[in-house]
Amino acid sequence: MVRSGSFHVDSSSASHRRTPSRTVTLGHIQPQAPSYRTVYCNDRESNQPVRFKGNSISTTKYNVFTFLPKGLFEQFRRIANIYFLGISCLSMTPISPVSPITNVAPLSMVLLVSLIKEAFEDWKRFQNDMSINNSTVEILQDQQWISIPWRKLQVGDIVKIKKDGFFPADILFLSSTNADGICYVETANLDGETNLKIRKALERTWDYLVPEKAYEFKGEIQCEQPNNSLYTFTGNLVAQKQTLPLSPDQLLLRGCSLRNTEYIVGAVVFTGHETKVMMNAMNAPSKRSTLEKKLDKLIITIFCVLVTMCLIGAIGCSIVTDREDKYLGLHKSDWEYRNGLMIGFFTFFTLVTLFSSIIPISLYVSIEMIKFIQSTQFINRDLNMYHAETNTPASARTSNLNEELGQVEYIFSDKTGTLTRNLMEFFKCSIGGISYGCGVTEIERGIAQRHGLKVQEEQRSTGAIREKGFNFDDPRLMRGAWRNEPNPDLCKELFRCLAICHTVLPEGDESPEKIVYQAASPDEAALVTAAKNFGFFFYRRTPTMVHVRESHVEKMGKIQDVAYEILNVLEFNSTRKRQSVVCRFPDGRLVLYCKGADNVIFERLGNGTDDIRKVTREHLEQFGSSGLRTLCLAYKDLNPETYDSWNEKFIQAKSALRDREKKLDEVAELIEKDLTLIGSTAIEDKLQEGVPTCIETLSRAGIKIWVLTGDKMETAINIAYACNLINNEMKQFVISSETDAIREAEERGDQVEIARVIKEEVKKELKKSLEEAQHSLNTVAGPKLSLVIDGKCLMYALDPSLRVMLLSLSLNCTSVVCCRVSPLQKAQVTSLVRKGAQKITLSIGDGANDVSMIQAAHVGIGISGMEGMQAVMASDFAIAQFRFLTDLLLVHGRWSYLRICKVVMYFFYKNLTFTLTQFWFTFRTGFSGQRFYDDWFQSLFNVVFTALPVIVLGLFEKDVSASLSKRYPELRASMRSRPKVPKK
Amino acid sequence: MSSNTASSSAGAAGSGDSSAARKNSKRPKYSKFTQQELPACKPILTPGWVISTFLIVSVIFIPLGVISLFASQDVVEIVDRYDTECIPTPARTNKIAYIQGGGDKVCTRELKVPKRMKQPVYVYYQLENFYQNHRRYVKSRSDSQLRSPKYENQISACKPEDDVGGQPIVPCGLIAWSLFNDTYALSRNNVSLAVNKKGIAWNSDKEHKFGNKVFPKNFQKGNLTGGATLDPKIPLSEQEDLIVWMRTAALPTFRKLYGKIESDLEIGDTILVTLKNNYNTYSFNGKKKLVLSTTSWLGGKNDFLGIAYLTVGGICFFLALAFTIMYLVKPRRLGDPSYLSWNRNPGGR
Repeated sequence: MVRSGSFHVDSSSASHRRTPSRTVTLGHIQPQAPSYRTVYCNDRESNQPVRFKGNSISTTKYNVFTFLPKGLFEQFRRIANIYFLGISCLSMTPISPVSPITNVAPLSMVLLVSLIKEAFEDWKRFQNDMSINNSTVEILQDQQWISIPWRKLQVGDIVKIKKDGFFPADILFLSSTNADGICYVETANLDGETNLKIRKALERTWDYLVPEKAYEFKGEIQCEQPNNSLYTFTGNLVAQKQTLPLSPDQLLLRGCSLRNTEYIVGAVVFTGHETKVMMNAMNAPSKRSTLEKKLDKLIITIFCVLVTMCLIGAIGCSIVTDREDKYLGLHKSDWEYRNGLMIGFFTFFTLVTLFSSIIPISLYVSIEMIKFIQSTQFINRDLNMYHAETNTPASARTSNLNEELGQVEYIFSDKTGTLTRNLMEFFKCSIGGISYGCGVTEIERGIAQRHGLKVQEEQRSTGAIREKGFNFDDPRLMRGAWRNEPNPDLCKELFRCLAICHTVLPEGDESPEKIVYQAASPDEAALVTAAKNFGFFFYRRTPTMVHVRESHVEKMGKIQDVAYEILNVLEFNSTRKRQSVVCRFPDGRLVLYCKGADNVIFERLGNGTDDIRKVTREHLEQFGSSGLRTLCLAYKDLNPETYDSWNEKFIQAKSALRDREKKLDEVAELIEKDLTLIGSTAIEDKLQEGVPTCIETLSRAGIKIWVLTGDKMETAINIAYACNLINNEMKQFVISSETDAIREAEERGDQVEIARVIKEEVKKELKKSLEEAQHSLNTVAGPKLSLVIDGKCLMYALDPSLRVMLLSLSLNCTSVVCCRVSPLQKAQVTSLVRKGAQKITLSIGDGANDVSMIQAAHVGIGISGMEGMQAVMASDFAIAQFRFLTDLLLVHGRWSYLRICKVVMYFFYKNLTFTLTQFWFTFRTGFSGQRFYDDWFQSLFNVVFTALPVIVLGLFEKDVSASLSKRYPELRASMRSRPKVPKK
Repeated sequence: MSSNTASSSAGAAGSGDSSAARKNSKRPKYSKFTQQELPACKPILTPGWVISTFLIVSVIFIPLGVISLFASQDVVEIVDRYDTECIPTPARTNKIAYIQGGGDKVCTRELKVPKRMKQPVYVYYQLENFYQNHRRYVKSRSDSQLRSPKYENQISACKPEDDVGGQPIVPCGLIAWSLFNDTYALSRNNVSLAVNKKGIAWNSDKEHKFGNKVFPKNFQKGNLTGGATLDPKIPLSEQEDLIVWMRTAALPTFRKLYGKIESDLEIGDTILVTLKNNYNTYSFNGKKKLVLSTTSWLGGKNDFLGIAYLTVGGICFFLALAFTIMYLVKPRRLGDPSYLSWNRNPGGR
């Protein structure tokens, strides 16, 4: 895997690795590989010269021949092992007072244990690989489907995958038994998302389904070189002298499986290690615990002690021996005894061998063993951290950070899905300036309670509908009542927008009760469910059509099925923060529906509806302050001419080979403007169970909790209130970009000017807050502080010139809330504290947007059992619920820290007593270096005689019981302030 | 480098049993070990426990100390340093020349018996500043050669005293070469006092480590003479002085058994020692002492054990007393939460 370095490199600039084998290296000039690969489908001979990689995979580290050299090399990368190798070599020479066995035996024992462990793990990997490589797939040979093992599959082969089968390689989707050339895939192995995704074949290839027909298929695929981006694919299919653009829609990735489709036929594009999933299979950067780093320094200290001891001995020896001790039979001919310097020199090395046991050889092995048992037996099997509803136990994905958990001082938490449940329910909406929905959110109730108001019992109107994703109650809109509202047309547009503008897949029976919506995010499902309950039932999707059963549209009680033709889908991504659909009504009307974040939509509104805009903004703020997630909806009528000219540009962008994403975004900008505001929706995301208590416990343990969220400031603050992060006794510093000065600058529109103004404002705010913070810290019993900052300001506050101020301000605050932040900013904030404040940090999150934050922190925790797997894949520990942090940090982390510290102390204690006795004896033997212990005793002392007590201590030591350490979280704070291992 | 996480997921995909596994509960099985609920005891150090533990220790240790001190006091020991005294006054300016010179270096010493000494009375020689434990010295011997005539030629470890003109020395090595060679003849009131030199070596050494068919050869024939010579007609297993000497001492000050007097010595007896002062300790400033000593059930004269017991017992008793007084004068409620660190300074974060 030497080539792995180039995996990351942009494929267009430097993909020199995957060239035809004929490349010859001439001096420094390497022939540049083409930035694309050409695959001849169904034609093994034509592909022959290029020699694509085979489809067999190997994830093993070693093979039979490389195991010993490579395995030993890995072992000797550990400095302690090198040291002992050196000592062993020394002990073979005559200057050694001990027999070689003393040092060779423990070293070989340690190496043996490590090598056996490596071999065992590699053997398991090997067996795993073999079972994958030998699973069978059907390929086309001579007009027949023939079963071959996966490993024999080659690029360009035509394969047939049956229902529920796994794709053996990255396959270009040609045809399917489903109508319209679509198929459904499950990507759970890739990203953990269990909802089905649609893949659609190019219309021209739909026919190649039966062997006779497929045999005729002779296409040429030009596509990008293998890369690790799962969600992009650009290429062209040249078939029958036509060039057709390819998109990720036609690519079926290895690791996914086929669902709800009898079988599909495809052409292999990437095989084996070149598949996207394998290219993604990078080792997460391995984290080392801070304690282990301290340990290294400790070992170096001990080594210095060793050198000092040997120097003392050597000097002593050269002084003492410089006499004519007859009984030692020293002759002038003994060159090593010629003069004091020589004597000292040789004695030094003699003593190094003698005192070598001062450095505990088995320390690392023992600690590794202890941590391994701690994580696999204690953390993974803790019933307190098992979540029965999702059937997920906790899982320690790495075992070398156990004790780090006990030292965490800062927690960075995502909001959605971590603090909240990520079970979205449609709760309120605002249409044309009128707010609908009369429920009271949990957070509002919390706020009311804090203000001492009595909370009204919820009064639901009779017959209110309540289902998963829908918790809305307002008779004004239900059962067609919206027809009598002031703005029935806008209501209709809102419902249509909800029913049409999405990427949801319906599954199951086409009846409102039984249908199941497969959505990429729970928000989407909630919105479509809402549309259903308003009488706009989306029940069928084909690649070009969306079928909606509409009630009460023309008159009360009338139900009709309407099919909307979907012309374009402008997909959601985190930069666009919006999603649009262009559709054609049965009567030919062309409409663009758009939904997205409020600021994005408001920027793109046309003129005219100023009052609605103002009222809607107010509503959005209200919704936000009740802790709801809001979306704005807008539409635009298109005239056919403008649409056609735009569509041409769109198709061009869509078939671009390079920078397709960027071009698509640009094209989208052209049409997503002059929108008409319909209104907004509000979705409730409930707090997870036990979050407020958990947060309170953790903050009593001296841990500071920061919330980093992409939500709006109001929502974020309210969630923070709801989970006890902020309360009314605290002094709040709010640094927001929504100030008059900034808004004014934004309206003027000059980018440079905006940046300057924001920076100035942020600086001013920071300075002011910092002064106040320091003032209140100096007064006794001043209020606790909290900081709220939004993403835009954060961007400037993270600027090197302001960073120090931000850090010192935020470190003084008990809780910090960062809202509207991007994934990158989450990571930046985390490393700001990690590097700037030298504190142990922990990040917890559940989604792909938290991955960078999880990797940036000392300890990364993923919420498992919910949405995707990406956060879990990047994490060090995975737990099912936020509240399990209490157990993980206060019980397991605390104990692990305590135990490992004691184990280290124990190790140094026993080795020091052992060696210092020897040192004392040296003085009584005229510094000659005569050994005090028997050879076997000395060699087995560390690895056998004293191995077990240490391990037992590392597994069973407890200072207080689990329940006590949870009841008195302060215990943890007091432990941390008194470092068990001397600080360096 | 190539190990990865995704491959394992792809592996699960390959086996295709994911749906079946998904239905199984992943609830961990209960066991006391995994839940970390194994029974354990964590004694709480209450004043009662601490005081009584200290008391018990002192009650046991103080009598033990007294007993062993008495035992040590019972031992009668006569120590006489003679290395300087046994050199005639004019020769003292250059002791090394004297000791390396020829002639009988006879010397007489008079010892008074201070107390009655019951037999057996052991006669030791004590050397000081002699590093028998020196690395170079210790390894200069050949155990196999000492054991059996077969291995006569195994002399590689013995340098520089390994051979004489190509012929192996038996016993070879520095240790044997430097065998102690002062001799003592004792008489009491002008009657010579028998010193039994049999049975001074360990039986295990005689039987197993020194062969009864191994005879000294070429011993002390080199250009440097070290210590005593050995009778080539007596096998090594009978050469008890050598066997005693070859069991090297661990510390630079050591006594080695010279012989046993198998009669009681009365108080006031004068013992006349006629010794031949042959052994050269002068070149390394060593001291030579003659020791006559009885033994008790605890061995020779050594006060250390008794003092150690008394000290530890005494400290424990003192601590017990101090804690009792503290407990009586200023008692403290057990488990008082106000002493917890986070209760002690409120406001500290």
